[in-house]
Amino acid sequence: MNKQEFLSALAQRLSALPEAERDASLAYYSEIIDDALEEGMSQEEAVESLGDIDQIVSQIVADVPLSKLVKKQLKPKKTLKAWEIVLIILGSPVWLPLLLSAVIVVAAVYICIWAVVISLYAVDLALGASAFAMLVCSVVFFALRSPVAALWMLAAALILAGLTILFFLLSNLCAKYTAILGKKICIGFKKMIVSKEGAK
Amino acid sequence: MDVQLKRGLLDICVLSAIRDEDSYGYRIVKDMKPYVQISESTLYPILRRLEAAQLLTVCTAEHNGRLRKYYHITDLGLKRIEEFKVEWNEIIGIYNYIMREDAQHE
Repeated sequence: MNKQEFLSALAQRLSALPEAERDASLAYYSEIIDDALEEGMSQEEAVESLGDIDQIVSQIVADVPLSKLVKKQLKPKKTLKAWEIVLIILGSPVWLPLLLSAVIVVAAVYICIWAVVISLYAVDLALGASAFAMLVCSVVFFALRSPVAALWMLAAALILAGLTILFFLLSNLCAKYTAILGKKICIGFKKMIVSKEGAK
Repeated sequence: MDVQLKRGLLDICVLSAIRDEDSYGYRIVKDMKPYVQISESTLYPILRRLEAAQLLTVCTAEHNGRLRKYYHITDLGLKRIEEFKVEWNEIIGIYNYIMREDAQHE
């Protein structure tokens, strides 16, 4: 790929970004390539030294706030023809509910996952409460002079306490991965907006 | 290296790359390469972030018949480097603490 090919490929991939944002990125990479050429590299070498274009795009996109991307999407473009506007408006009873329901489904699934995580914590809380109750019972039975039953209950309390700690660690692990998943969904959504635009 | 830690370190490295004289993207990467693993695509968001935080300013100047962006450190940027030096002393303290624990285990 030579310089011009690289820059137009990058411009196409970034076409969903606000214009100023895109131009700034293009100017930056154009300058880097020019400086590399001055060092005696060939155009191909200079472009290759920049690395994978996918990674370049995601690094630029990750830095642009989601609100800016969406705002750009909502702004009608100058090239929009009259019949396109009519189609969009006439079609809105179809695509608007579809888009909304898609977003809601993704959100609902994500909330469900969190619900499972929260229920794990609830189970853990119940385990902890039973451990405490067993301990109290054990003390009561000891006071009632039945040490064998008290010992049994103490053992049960210890087992429950162990389970509580184990479950707590497990719940924490689940919560951590759910949070990571949420972050990934957000990045995926951003990328989807950009690539849809780039394909046009 | 831990991502957060590296991110913070790279900011300071970039600031110190332009501390003594103004520099441009390609040269910053070249100057840093012997010491830190950095690519042009990593540098770009860092420069944007530092500019937004007013730790550096950008000015465009002509070079060989084309435009080149030069990055100039601000007083705030110089102050940030000085703050880092103080912070680093604390980190060395933590490091020594960790290493002492290691020595006891061996």
